[in-house]
Amino acid sequence: MAWIRRKWTPEAAEEWTREDLIACILSPLAYFLLSLGLLHALLLQTWGYFLLILGVLISYAMYVVIDPKLRTISEEFEKKQAKHLEELERIQRWEE
Amino acid sequence: MVELTLLDWFWLLAFLGLMVASGVLFYRLGKRSQADFFLAGRGLPWWLPASSVYATHTATDTPMWITGIVYQHGLRGIWYAFFSAWCAISAFVSTRIFRRSLAYTQAEWQSLRFSGLGSELLRGWMAGWSVFMNMFVLGWVGIAMGKICNVFFNWPEWVGLIVFSSVCAIYVLAAGYWGVVMADFQQGVIALAVIVITSLWGIAAAGGPSGIVSRLDAMGESWRLNPFAFTGLFTGDFPVAWFITMMVIAIVGGVGMGTSIDWYPEAQRIQSAKTVRDASYAIWAGTILVLLRNSLWAVAILGFYVLYPNIKSAAEYEMGWYRLGFEYLPIGMVGCFFAAILAIHLSTISTHLNLGAVYATRDLYHHYVNPQASEAKLVWVGRFSTFLLLVGSFIYGLMMEDITSWLIFALWIMMAGVWLPNILQVVWWRFNAWGYLASWIANLGMSWLVVWILPHYGLIPEMPDYLQFWALMALGTLIFLPVTYLTPPDDMDHLVKYYIMARPLGWWGPVRQAAIERGLMQPTAQPGSD
Repeated sequence: MAWIRRKWTPEAAEEWTREDLIACILSPLAYFLLSLGLLHALLLQTWGYFLLILGVLISYAMYVVIDPKLRTISEEFEKKQAKHLEELERIQRWEE
Repeated sequence: MVELTLLDWFWLLAFLGLMVASGVLFYRLGKRSQADFFLAGRGLPWWLPASSVYATHTATDTPMWITGIVYQHGLRGIWYAFFSAWCAISAFVSTRIFRRSLAYTQAEWQSLRFSGLGSELLRGWMAGWSVFMNMFVLGWVGIAMGKICNVFFNWPEWVGLIVFSSVCAIYVLAAGYWGVVMADFQQGVIALAVIVITSLWGIAAAGGPSGIVSRLDAMGESWRLNPFAFTGLFTGDFPVAWFITMMVIAIVGGVGMGTSIDWYPEAQRIQSAKTVRDASYAIWAGTILVLLRNSLWAVAILGFYVLYPNIKSAAEYEMGWYRLGFEYLPIGMVGCFFAAILAIHLSTISTHLNLGAVYATRDLYHHYVNPQASEAKLVWVGRFSTFLLLVGSFIYGLMMEDITSWLIFALWIMMAGVWLPNILQVVWWRFNAWGYLASWIANLGMSWLVVWILPHYGLIPEMPDYLQFWALMALGTLIFLPVTYLTPPDDMDHLVKYYIMARPLGWWGPVRQAAIERGLMQPTAQPGSD
């Protein structure tokens, strides 16, 4: 999957990219397939199992696509969090 | 009426003891600061807020509501409950943006996003509305518990309303959100296990999966097995147009903040997660559990339908899933089942007690009354607000019969006309607080006109609910768009600070350019940013 970026710099991870779009397409699809799949699997209908397995695979694909980016964003943001919290409290307390 | 045996009472008291103990256990953590009392110190791994999302959105009225729609509509009724899917996109868009803002509440986020007088008015309004809404939900869910205890144990309704909410308040008052989230984890596990056991037991009682299918065939009602049994493109009580509207509201709504009433408790869970990544996975995982639970319930309710196909009264068939538990589980398990009902009840009550208190403390008291309050004082204000919400919910609960229809209407209008502004405030830099406030005010008037007054006088035909949604959205846009353009944009320095902190998605080109000019970020290509 060369078109999916696996290594991110903090600057690049801050941008909204193709990986976000793919996660946003796969995620509702996974919800849809898992919900329908369980419904029909519980009624012992074969295509329910098929949808359920497809839903699991799509969820995994979503994780593979988005996780490296989420990790980079999180690590970078944690470094800045204390400073942002100070700013938040300043606004909260009206200290202009 | 259900008789509880000694073993049943043991399960029940053991469960309540466990919940209260969690409050005592986390008392010291909860009182350290308001960040601990309301957000568990922003340090939770993803699975704790995820279990809290699941537990909170499994309330005592949830199985009644899902039973009602599946009994009435068959498996296609599952789409009524699919609105939770807003988290599919939210987990990777609005959750990320909100977690990065570090705001305690949605009202606080809006004061980071907007500036000036409009922003202050909006924060006050949203905080007041949220305190009221949490009190209302507490009363609503509390009286549902009262009714369940009345139907199955013949206890007066006030017993179910007051006793269990008061037990819950012990650990919320003691440990704040630490107590809520730790109890939610235990409650989530207990509730999930018992929901699985009871539903599978119910399916078996109805003859198993093949028994349900063959009995529905014999009754000539096999359409109930089809989740896509539409009644036409625009006609009947289940048209394709309704389904598409529901999907758009749910899925596209995930880009915004507040497009679903569930956003507000979720926002607290997002902010309590240790990192942005934990917040995203918490929202995604908690919601898939909710959706899978709906599927399980739906099949169990089909089982209930084939066992009792001729119930006409909604009040009676809405109790279907509870009846499967109380009437079909073996002796000794009934107490366990009731403990699970208490688990789903307490998880919702505890969430709304703490959530209402954070708006009262952080957005009203701390922001407007005493900005210099110490952390210790804020924790005590949080406790006092929790207590007031509890007492208020008892009053609401006891008068709920008279006001429910009005408040459901209020919920609907809040959703329909403000749906688009809730997205625009996230994705469009030029949208301002005046536009947002205008959409609220316009919606209050328009919804009365579109839903009740104009159809009553025959000036417009009565519209199905999905058409009301589109009409209210279009009419609201005619108001808030001109208001937005006729009022000045937010202060650019304020917007730049917000942009650097939250990195929102959408049309933020001028703000991004201003941030680059101030040397706060490097110019890089960002497709679709302006």
